[in-house]
Amino acid sequence: MDEHQHIKNRLEPVISEITDWPIYKLSQDRESFLEEAISKTIDNLLQSYSNAAVLHSELKSVLYQEKNRLTKEPWKSDTPEERIFWSEIKRQILLTDKLDEEKKQFKQDKKILRSILEYYSLEIVANFEPGKYNIARRILPFLFSRLMNASPGKKLKFLFGSKQTIYDKFNITGPIDHIRNLSKKGTVIIVPTHFSNIDSPTIGLIIDIIGLPAMTYGAGINLFTIGILSRWLNDLGAYKLDRRRKNKPYLELLKNYSTVAISRGAHSLFFPGGTRSRSGQIEKKLKLGLLGTALEAQRQNLLKFHKDTAKKVYIVPVVLNYHFVMEASSLIRQHLAYEGKEQFIPEKDDFSTSYKLLKLIFKVITANPGMTVSFSSPMDVVGNEVDFEGNSINNIGQNVDIKDYFTLAGKMKEDKQRDNVYTSILGEKIVEKFLTANTVLSSHLVSFVAFELIQKEFKNLDIYQLLRVPVDEIEINVEEFKVKLNTIKEKIIDLYAEGKLRVHDRIKGDNDEIIKHGLKNLGVYHPSLPLLKNANGNIITQDLKVLYFYRNRLMGYGLEQHFK
Amino acid sequence: MDSNNTLSKYGVIGAGSFGLAIANLLAENGNVLIYARNEQQVKDININHLSKNYVMKEAVIATNDLKTIAAECQLIFPIVPSNGFVSMLEDIAPYLKPYHVLIHGTKGLYTPKKISGDILLRKEEVFTMSELIKIKTGVVRIGCLAGPNLASELAEDQPAATVIASKFNEVIELGQQALRSSRFQVYGSNELLGVELAGVLKNYVAIASGMLTGLGYGENARALLITRGMAELIYIAKALGANERAFLGLAGIGDLIATCNSPKSRNYRVGLQLAEGKKLDEIIEAIGEVAEGVKTLQIVKAMQKYGYRAPLAEILYKIVFEELAIKKGIDFLMRFSSDKDAEYIVS
Repeated sequence: MDEHQHIKNRLEPVISEITDWPIYKLSQDRESFLEEAISKTIDNLLQSYSNAAVLHSELKSVLYQEKNRLTKEPWKSDTPEERIFWSEIKRQILLTDKLDEEKKQFKQDKKILRSILEYYSLEIVANFEPGKYNIARRILPFLFSRLMNASPGKKLKFLFGSKQTIYDKFNITGPIDHIRNLSKKGTVIIVPTHFSNIDSPTIGLIIDIIGLPAMTYGAGINLFTIGILSRWLNDLGAYKLDRRRKNKPYLELLKNYSTVAISRGAHSLFFPGGTRSRSGQIEKKLKLGLLGTALEAQRQNLLKFHKDTAKKVYIVPVVLNYHFVMEASSLIRQHLAYEGKEQFIPEKDDFSTSYKLLKLIFKVITANPGMTVSFSSPMDVVGNEVDFEGNSINNIGQNVDIKDYFTLAGKMKEDKQRDNVYTSILGEKIVEKFLTANTVLSSHLVSFVAFELIQKEFKNLDIYQLLRVPVDEIEINVEEFKVKLNTIKEKIIDLYAEGKLRVHDRIKGDNDEIIKHGLKNLGVYHPSLPLLKNANGNIITQDLKVLYFYRNRLMGYGLEQHFK
Repeated sequence: MDSNNTLSKYGVIGAGSFGLAIANLLAENGNVLIYARNEQQVKDININHLSKNYVMKEAVIATNDLKTIAAECQLIFPIVPSNGFVSMLEDIAPYLKPYHVLIHGTKGLYTPKKISGDILLRKEEVFTMSELIKIKTGVVRIGCLAGPNLASELAEDQPAATVIASKFNEVIELGQQALRSSRFQVYGSNELLGVELAGVLKNYVAIASGMLTGLGYGENARALLITRGMAELIYIAKALGANERAFLGLAGIGDLIATCNSPKSRNYRVGLQLAEGKKLDEIIEAIGEVAEGVKTLQIVKAMQKYGYRAPLAEILYKIVFEELAIKKGIDFLMRFSSDKDAEYIVS
């Protein structure tokens, strides 16, 4: 297995006809697909309610929350029809209240539940139009490359005579052939780290570059109100999530939407961290809800089909690394203020129009000569490695049958609690893979060394006090910096040799070059630079918090201990 | 997999006194296949239904082939001493599948390092038995048995109870179905690490309890030992990442009371005889079976750098391995006091 395949060219699509792509088929079978998701949702919900009265009060609480959302947290994406719909639901609930027989009430309540779910499902459901997809896949790289003086595919000479192609801008590594092969045999779930709003378009483009068919993924409904972007997302297979909604029927429907899509073979993409990492650190704790849908889809497939025809589900962790995260400043400030917890959900944070978002994307791409996308080796849903053909290989190298994990006393059985334990095991494995696929860039290295030296200098302060130290008090002697950088670099090379992380080729090279490149590229578009050199040639910072954000990228390897 | 391969048969690995007692309990609910290394013991069980003075139920059949156990049983109870656990796992691993469920009953710790006087161990170098199962086999559904289960009392059909701990509820339920009877109650817990550590760590407190008896001390001293010993165990367990809840249950305080009061406990006997002036080597040789507490003590001491407070373990280690006079050790412990009672709950 080649773990470090570098992609330099666009690869041949695994399935050439878009109309043969699973996502297209799913879109074509939309009605039966939604019906399956809705009836599963109803079954699960009814199972979880101990009696009819619980269902009734659940409906009332959904209504109350929806009314609240429309009045207290209105978004542009809310339509006038919503009010009409919820008024009608209110009327029906009141009617049910008047029924005197419990049986009739229950029947009526089930009807109401179904209407709500059907309503939700139409809002959530994704569309996939091959024509739109083709336009997007042509336009995105074209725009990217115009701005980068690189042309897609062909090596046209632009103004400055650059011969770069768009693919040179992305440093794509990992067992790509392996993943491509699995996409033919089963369903692939891509689970990337999440640091920036540009992660979605980036990974979308990368998936196309490596020749995988488009994937279903969930996107915040607020993105669908942003002009051109909404039209794109809408027709590119994205389904819509409204993060304001926390009610159980809605969340259960989302889960089943994903489960049914996966079990029908739609390759999917989701960010298992849930939201963008506020601290800049690689996600340590994952949201297991969506992850669990991959496991559930696998189990359902095994139950439904014969062992040899049941499609297998493969999990592929991916780490995205940039020299520059546009939102770094606001993310780290939120992290410090709320210790990473989101207290409110802003409809728009750092960009409000598609123009701004596109500008952001271009800026990031142009500012990132070494943007890396690191695919890790694929796993099955309980965290086993899988071989090229998709067979599961367990921790002691045995070839195992995935079915056996769901079998007890000779029978395959559904067990939600067991699923939850497996999902948390899978979550831990994904976090491990994130750490080993993380690719160290020059800017990570310089920010880590600089921050640790500053921390050592002010060793009596806790992290919050340290981050309030005025930046003009801070100056790192460049000679000391070079010495420490060399120490840490050597440790990183050791870790690389042990397979515990990946490094960009530049890290293997000359130290002065690393420093020069790192300082030049680290957070280059921030108004206050995280690191720069002063007149004496020493290293200073204009924004310690942002420096801290970038430094956190190298947490999790025990490198801090070399500063004690 | 054979579709008729159901749970009609339970497996037990290890035919020491506890393994035999568990086999007899399982035999009340189904057929049992027990693995014994010794061929004579296999014959004794299969022909005479007798082993080491225990009368075995007829539903218990013995084998000395691990492959057979894996092939015929999907629920298996490994109950072998911690020093033989790894090689047992390596022997059976080729035959185990992800559908197997393993519930072990071994109250010991394992380290691949050689233990000597002043060695220091890191957390990553010490393993509970369930961690060994996870590393050495492909089995994922793992549980453990712990609680006040003195084998000789179980053999006499006295009423007793145990705890099965596992992250998987289905493992707990399966274990309960297999073991429950009118004289044996089975509780469940999801705190696998906590329950394992409770069962393991209490062994060295039992050694100390035996010493108190050997010195002719009474119940005030023993109650002091048990309560403060318990506090110490909780500190250690927390430092190792476990939850203290398990320590208030059967596997914790329950087991501690039983082993600290029973001359039938091997660990207790070690302490008793040390207090009577015998040498450790002679005692271990005379007892014949392994007293896990001695090894646990070495490991706990070697992990002290972990930042937990374990004055009892430290003094006990000096008494057992460095010939510190027992009375001197007790003097030291009496001066080492914390002024708050049950402070580990408040924290």
